[in-house]
Amino acid sequence: MRVIIIGAGEVGFHISQRLAVENKEVVVIDTSDEALRKIAETSDVQTIKGSGSSPKILEEAGVDKADIFLAVTDSDEINLLACSFANLLNPSVTKLARVRGEMYTDYKHLLTEQGAEITKIINPDEEVVNSVLRLMSVPGAVEINEFANGKIRLIGVNLPEDSHLIGSKLYNLREKIGDELGIVIAALVRDGELIIPSGLDVIEKGDLVYFVCDIRDQDEIMRQLGIFAEPVRKVMIIGGGNIGFRLAKALDNKYYHTRLLENRQKRCEYLSEHLDRPIVLMGDSTDQEILREENIQDMDMVIAVTGDEETNILSCLLAKSLGAKSTVTRVNNFGYMPLIEPIGIDYVVCPRQSAINTLLHFIRRGKIISSVSIKGEAAEALEAVAQEDSPIVGKEVKDLKFPRGCLVLCFQRGDDVVIPRGETVVEPNDRLIIISTRQNIPKVEKVLTTKVEFF
Amino acid sequence: MRWKYVLHIIGALVACIGLTMAFPLGWGLYYGDGTAYPIGLSMGITVIVGGLAFAFFRDPEASKKSSVMTHREGMAIVALGWFAAGVFGGLPFYLGGTFESVVDCVFESLSGFSTTGSSVLVDIESVPRGLLFWRSLTHWLGGMGIIVLSLAILPFLGVGGMQLYKAEVPGPSPDKLKPRIKDTAMTLWKVYLLFSAVETVLLMFGGMDLFDSLCHTFGTMATGGFSTRNTSVASFDSAYIDYVITVFMVIAGVNFSLHYLLLKGRFKVLIKDPEFRVFATMIAIFIAIITVFVYAEGNYDTVSDSIRYTSFQVASILTTTGFATADYEMWPGVTQAILLFCMFVGGCAGSTGGGMKVMRIMLLFKQSYQELFRLIHPRAVSHVKMGKTVVKDDVLSGVWGFFILWLGLLVLAAFVVASTGVDVVTSFAAALACIGNIGPGIGGVGPTDNFAWLPDIAKWVLTFCMVLGRLEIYTVIILFVPEFWRK
Repeated sequence: MRVIIIGAGEVGFHISQRLAVENKEVVVIDTSDEALRKIAETSDVQTIKGSGSSPKILEEAGVDKADIFLAVTDSDEINLLACSFANLLNPSVTKLARVRGEMYTDYKHLLTEQGAEITKIINPDEEVVNSVLRLMSVPGAVEINEFANGKIRLIGVNLPEDSHLIGSKLYNLREKIGDELGIVIAALVRDGELIIPSGLDVIEKGDLVYFVCDIRDQDEIMRQLGIFAEPVRKVMIIGGGNIGFRLAKALDNKYYHTRLLENRQKRCEYLSEHLDRPIVLMGDSTDQEILREENIQDMDMVIAVTGDEETNILSCLLAKSLGAKSTVTRVNNFGYMPLIEPIGIDYVVCPRQSAINTLLHFIRRGKIISSVSIKGEAAEALEAVAQEDSPIVGKEVKDLKFPRGCLVLCFQRGDDVVIPRGETVVEPNDRLIIISTRQNIPKVEKVLTTKVEFF
Repeated sequence: MRWKYVLHIIGALVACIGLTMAFPLGWGLYYGDGTAYPIGLSMGITVIVGGLAFAFFRDPEASKKSSVMTHREGMAIVALGWFAAGVFGGLPFYLGGTFESVVDCVFESLSGFSTTGSSVLVDIESVPRGLLFWRSLTHWLGGMGIIVLSLAILPFLGVGGMQLYKAEVPGPSPDKLKPRIKDTAMTLWKVYLLFSAVETVLLMFGGMDLFDSLCHTFGTMATGGFSTRNTSVASFDSAYIDYVITVFMVIAGVNFSLHYLLLKGRFKVLIKDPEFRVFATMIAIFIAIITVFVYAEGNYDTVSDSIRYTSFQVASILTTTGFATADYEMWPGVTQAILLFCMFVGGCAGSTGGGMKVMRIMLLFKQSYQELFRLIHPRAVSHVKMGKTVVKDDVLSGVWGFFILWLGLLVLAAFVVASTGVDVVTSFAAALACIGNIGPGIGGVGPTDNFAWLPDIAKWVLTFCMVLGRLEIYTVIILFVPEFWRK
């Protein structure tokens, strides 16, 4: 499988690294020697120096033999142009483009249908906004991912110290929580290590617990776990850039009391013109005076999404120290990820991570519908359809040759969410939610693919 | 300022007005009530004077396509054109012997053109029908605007059209419905014509004859208020006619651009329009409150009567029409206070209604709230908005300027009227009724009284106020600013 990646920035870098680990043929195109060298040093990929929008370079990269074409430079125009050329040179290639400008994303259909026939437009800003909104929708959760068109959720929570689940073995969970509620523990994070648990594992104090459930049971399960968080209503957004603006717009309704802090006068004018209810404030997010003036201590959530991650982290810490209930910070640099939790910031959103998540789902072989990385990149949760000719159909779950460190979490069968036991038989068209550590992803993919390719 | 050019255009306007006298002339001939001669003579004088001015002041330099009408010239043409219309429009009354004094003729004529509806006629029914028709027709012409009419029909006005249009249809933010100003004017007149035709037919179903239907339609659609009866619409004593007129008064009080969009099938635009929503809400709330009070007070025996008379009066005053089916001076004090507030507000911007306009009142309130908001959030960056559109600062300061001038001139006019010996309530009410283009006020100029008894000086001042109100202050008052005349 040949993958061409235009742009060796943060997204290009990480995605090429991931794919190289999975033994895919990866070609990276960029104009910067520096960026290419960095990639070539860390992973086994081919690099070509040149503009991604040049047909000559694309031919050189072998676009005619490529299966997937990713355009992830920082320029929307180059990405779109590169996809258009790729489409002309090889119409069958799957084309993915990162596009952020609203002037383009508002007309997605023009880009995906006619013209460039881009398979998927990825807008990291939009993904970030969606993930923040998801966080707000489940107060108390640390991370939320959706499957089966939003019917099933993978939720990460920090259990409170007095939760009655602490100390219990996972196979006892049903008795403790009650039989009606469908819940499967997908992973535990203990001391920074991710564990894909078996029935014998015990939940310990301080564990970060990931579980999968039907969205309809979500609220009841949160109560059972002992998490009673107030719904988020009062929000302060720091940074009125693309993401801040989109977020404020999404919260522009009667339910939320939103404040949007931005330090550029011109931008403030623009924001105030285009927003109805949110209060646009001009000032610096590290200015205690303005934070106090706007009752930072009463905020349910402070969301720092400026383009500068250091500012984001510092403003969140300041807000927290002044009494804000929870904080979300936007980080671009993966290097900061391990820092976030220890220093006391509650949530992280990362546009690049979001972009990578979306890209991954198109790259996965077999009929994998979506996949997300959890806990940084330690594991991936996949959603796959068991097609009629798939080798897994008709087998009992315990007979599936999944590797260790890989768990079938649940099925979606019609409208129902089925929590599998060892004897449950996979039926055609079941949607499976599977969690796996990163190293095992290729093996999982193999199990899921059709018979012809099966060993 | 090119005086020749200004007079040239005014000449054309006057000639146009003269031509419209053909309609009352027709009625005069039809009824044979002796008005054909005075109206025909007035028509002749007006057309000839206008035509001569048009021909005599023809300035070959200015008529060239390349010469553009300036903002100042536009204002001068509109303001002076309106006064000229008033004088020539008063000719039929003078020649027809309706009034003896010049001031009464001009007052009645400009009260018509400015859609005020204040009258100095004591016995309306004794006036021959040809003249009554002219009286009501002035409403209809002035309602949508004599300049807008000229723009629609006179091709040579196209060049400076926008200047003229802005001067006559000021509003906080003029809409241009079509790329060309001539087409915009034409469109507005077509909408106006359509509603007028519908109302006329509906009134005829209610038992009015064609003459009465037309005259009352003119009074309604222009939010004027001249009736053909001494007791106004009350003399027909029909709930059906009351409600038809109520509905069309409200229609006339709404921005005609919205009507145009509505007729093109864009119903949502109307519902979502912030000004319309406030206007509609105000009507509903005021009707509800006043109905409760007049019913509780026992002014009317049944609830349905209370609603009928209340809704007519509220619509009539709020849209500044000025028709009457009841004497609201007999109602409880609080209801009069509400109606007084309505007199200040008036119709929507871009409607034929007068007053300060709902849009301006909204902007004033919004901006005041903005000041409070800034006290609470000193660092907030915020804008005054109408719906989703940001209102620019220069528009806001324009509205504040308008508000101050409007109130200031109102007080000044009331002061002059009072100094002629009129009592203070009446002076104030008369000035308000004229500057707001309403018609009846309270006190000595209430719905059952008229303006005939006022001293001449008071009438001149009030006549001037009517034009001030109709052209929304700036266009007229600018003529009195020395800076305007400097070269």
